[in-house]
Amino acid sequence: MDLMYYQSAKNMNNKANEILLIEDNPNDVELTKRAFSKFNFIHHVQIISDGAEALDYFRCTGKYLNRDIHDIPRLVMLDLKLPKVDGLEILRVIKEDERTKMIPVVVLTSSQELKDVSEGYRLGANSFIVKPVDFNKFTQLVGELSHYWLQINKSPY
Amino acid sequence: MKIQGKIFLCAVIFTFSFTGISRSHPFEILDTIRIKKILIASEPDYPPYCLIDKNGNPTGFSVELLIAAAKAVNIDVEIKIGLWNKIRVDLEEGTIDALPLMGKTPERDSLYDFTMPYLSLYGAVFVRKNDGRIKSIHDLKDIKILVMLGDNAEEYIHRNRITNNITTTRTFEDAFRMLASGEGDAVITQRVMGIQLLKSLKIKSIRPLDFPLDNFRQDFCFAVDKGNKELLSRLNEGLSIVIANKTFDEIQLKWFGPQHKEHITYRDMIINLLYIIIPLVIILSGISILILRREVKSRTGRLQQEIDDHQITELTLHKQQLLLNEMEKLTRIGGWEYTVATQEVVWTDGVYDIFGVSKTDFDPTSRKTDMNFYHPDDHKILDNAFRNILEHGTAYDLRLRINTPDGQLKWIRTAGQAEYHHKDIVRVYGHVMDITIQKQSEDDLIKLKNDLEANVAARTNELEEKVLKLRKSESAMLYMVEDLNKMTAELKSEQLELEAINKELEAFSYSISHDLRAPLRAINGFGQILQEDYAELIGEEGKRILSVIIYNTKRMSTLIDDLLSFSRISRQEIKYCGIDMQSMVNSILPELVNPAEKERISVEVHRLLPAYGDSSMLKQVWLNLISNALKFTSKIAEGKIEIGSSLAEGDNTYYVKDNGAGFNMQYSNKLFGVFQRLHADKDFEGTGVGLAIVKRIINRMGGRVWAEGAINQGAVFYFTLPNLEKLDGFDVLSKRKKHEQ
Repeated sequence: MDLMYYQSAKNMNNKANEILLIEDNPNDVELTKRAFSKFNFIHHVQIISDGAEALDYFRCTGKYLNRDIHDIPRLVMLDLKLPKVDGLEILRVIKEDERTKMIPVVVLTSSQELKDVSEGYRLGANSFIVKPVDFNKFTQLVGELSHYWLQINKSPY
Repeated sequence: MKIQGKIFLCAVIFTFSFTGISRSHPFEILDTIRIKKILIASEPDYPPYCLIDKNGNPTGFSVELLIAAAKAVNIDVEIKIGLWNKIRVDLEEGTIDALPLMGKTPERDSLYDFTMPYLSLYGAVFVRKNDGRIKSIHDLKDIKILVMLGDNAEEYIHRNRITNNITTTRTFEDAFRMLASGEGDAVITQRVMGIQLLKSLKIKSIRPLDFPLDNFRQDFCFAVDKGNKELLSRLNEGLSIVIANKTFDEIQLKWFGPQHKEHITYRDMIINLLYIIIPLVIILSGISILILRREVKSRTGRLQQEIDDHQITELTLHKQQLLLNEMEKLTRIGGWEYTVATQEVVWTDGVYDIFGVSKTDFDPTSRKTDMNFYHPDDHKILDNAFRNILEHGTAYDLRLRINTPDGQLKWIRTAGQAEYHHKDIVRVYGHVMDITIQKQSEDDLIKLKNDLEANVAARTNELEEKVLKLRKSESAMLYMVEDLNKMTAELKSEQLELEAINKELEAFSYSISHDLRAPLRAINGFGQILQEDYAELIGEEGKRILSVIIYNTKRMSTLIDDLLSFSRISRQEIKYCGIDMQSMVNSILPELVNPAEKERISVEVHRLLPAYGDSSMLKQVWLNLISNALKFTSKIAEGKIEIGSSLAEGDNTYYVKDNGAGFNMQYSNKLFGVFQRLHADKDFEGTGVGLAIVKRIINRMGGRVWAEGAINQGAVFYFTLPNLEKLDGFDVLSKRKKHEQ
């Protein structure tokens, strides 16, 4: 991928893999997708619902063996509670790899546990969001997030 | 008589000339101040030795001889004339240097120094020719003797106690004249001089008697001022020279000589022969005398040396004896010896001292052994020892008791050993030492030692008892420690259990927050989707029911959140620090009070005491209490909230007072229970966890919570925290914190 592509993608807001959502709960996936669609971001969202698969994605192994490691998303939304490999482990892998460490990662969690929050930040999370039960609030939050990270925030690439 | 004297004179002079020369020699070398001229004095009336010639000048044999002797050693002589008694005093006083003629007597030795004699004269008794009374010296006793004052003769008479009946005259001339005129019975003077004097006086009625005067042989010398060694030696030297170079003979010939050679008789021939033989003999005698003198001198020297040595030895011995005595006294020791042959016992002073007897009262020999002194028990010991040493030479060293005559009991150490001579024991000797004091000290020491041992034994027993007790205590302690260990182990396992429970609880809380909320979110989310997308299909009642479902999901979510935060409060570690409660409350209020409500509700904050506790937890307390107050005053037209504090019984008491709905005091005990509510949800929303959290926090920090109120009359919620002062004793850290504030 070349630099031009990202710049145009940013400007056009229409690239398929700009947002990577890592979430195992299908309900949450569906609700999140609905929220994204409300803001027309849905076409740019890629979803991985398994921790192990997420690791393969970032390492370009297994199912993602042929993936170009430089083809990286502009935002990762990471759920903490994942089967097999939990969210914090994935966060660690992303932030330890020179090639991926600059990707903004927003951690989504149901938990208000301070321990998780501080550990997340320690590993290099860029943002930490507690998912509200109220779907309206959640939708609003997803919109604000996308807007902020994809349009307001200056991308590193 | 005259010739005999002359012969003798020659011999004497000859002898002395040797010694004179040999003696004067060293002086000559040593002397640095040389005498050039001397002043002498001569008598006018002692012919032929000292007299005055027709011109009134002094002359005579002695005068000429002195001048010649002085000349031989380059000394000029000046002569004055004076009477004997005057000039001898002059010499004594040192106003003149020498006299030509003075008889050497013991009396004069201390007043003058004499050269070697050059003339020996014999005294004689002169009497009137017709007087035949005096036959020997003993006849002089009862007669009146005339003598010149201060002459040898006078001294001689006194010295030999010849008579007390002496008449002294100024000169011998006077004496002879007096005798001639019948005054006095005899004159004693020099034979030669007397005869000469009578001749010159032309007195024929006086004659000398033939018997000799013992001890009135007079050696005449030059006399010099006492102490003038140089002059003495020079004159001796001069005298020797004039004798050697015949000047002496010439002078002698002049004054005594020519008339004897006028008619030579047979007797004279013999005498002349004798003149040759006798000097020869005398010379030989002189030499042998000289040798003998030297021999005698050296022998005398040796003898003197031996005597001196002996005296020194004796003195040293005496000193050593004194030292020994002193030593013996000091060391209370003494020596003894027993000579086998004589059976004599000798003690040193020390032994006498020890036995308390004196040398004069007690003779150790008189008793072969001093057994009586000894303690009866010791008799046999000493007896055996002494027998053994005498028979076999076995040395002994014993400690025995003695009783001294003055009643003292003493301990002595007595030792003896034998001395052999050709296998025979000839002597036994040894020492005795007074060891009473040592013995006493020894006894004292032994007593002390015994006492000490007894003490040590007693102490040891005590100690052993103590050790025993200690051992018992120790085993008791061991049991206790064992118990303690067991308890500790139990505690530890309990703690581990507790930790495990806590972990579980944590995991549980985690699960609740994730897993319980996820379905809620789904219900809520899909409910809303339903509301949004299918509202028309479900109708009005369907919409209401759907909204109830959605409401309950939210409520459920709140319940879960509160429950989790309550559980968290219980687990969370308290981080103590000083807190300014005033500013804490002031910062919270704007968050809580809705700007729209500011008109309706007044919040008054009084002075708040600073507190010591966990900042975030206390913030939670204030949040819960104030929001509670706001909630219950929400329906009052003029809501009033007061926040304040007071210090009572060492605790800081804080309160939040409102004029809201209040509560029934009957149920006040339920106020702080979890999920306990006194109001219906439709009146006031809530989960019933807020106050439970407050109670839990305050209790954990050592404070209390309570509430007062009445229905529709408002409520006051109190909580206390330990005052800083009260905390002082608990924790050093808190003290430091206080100072930092």
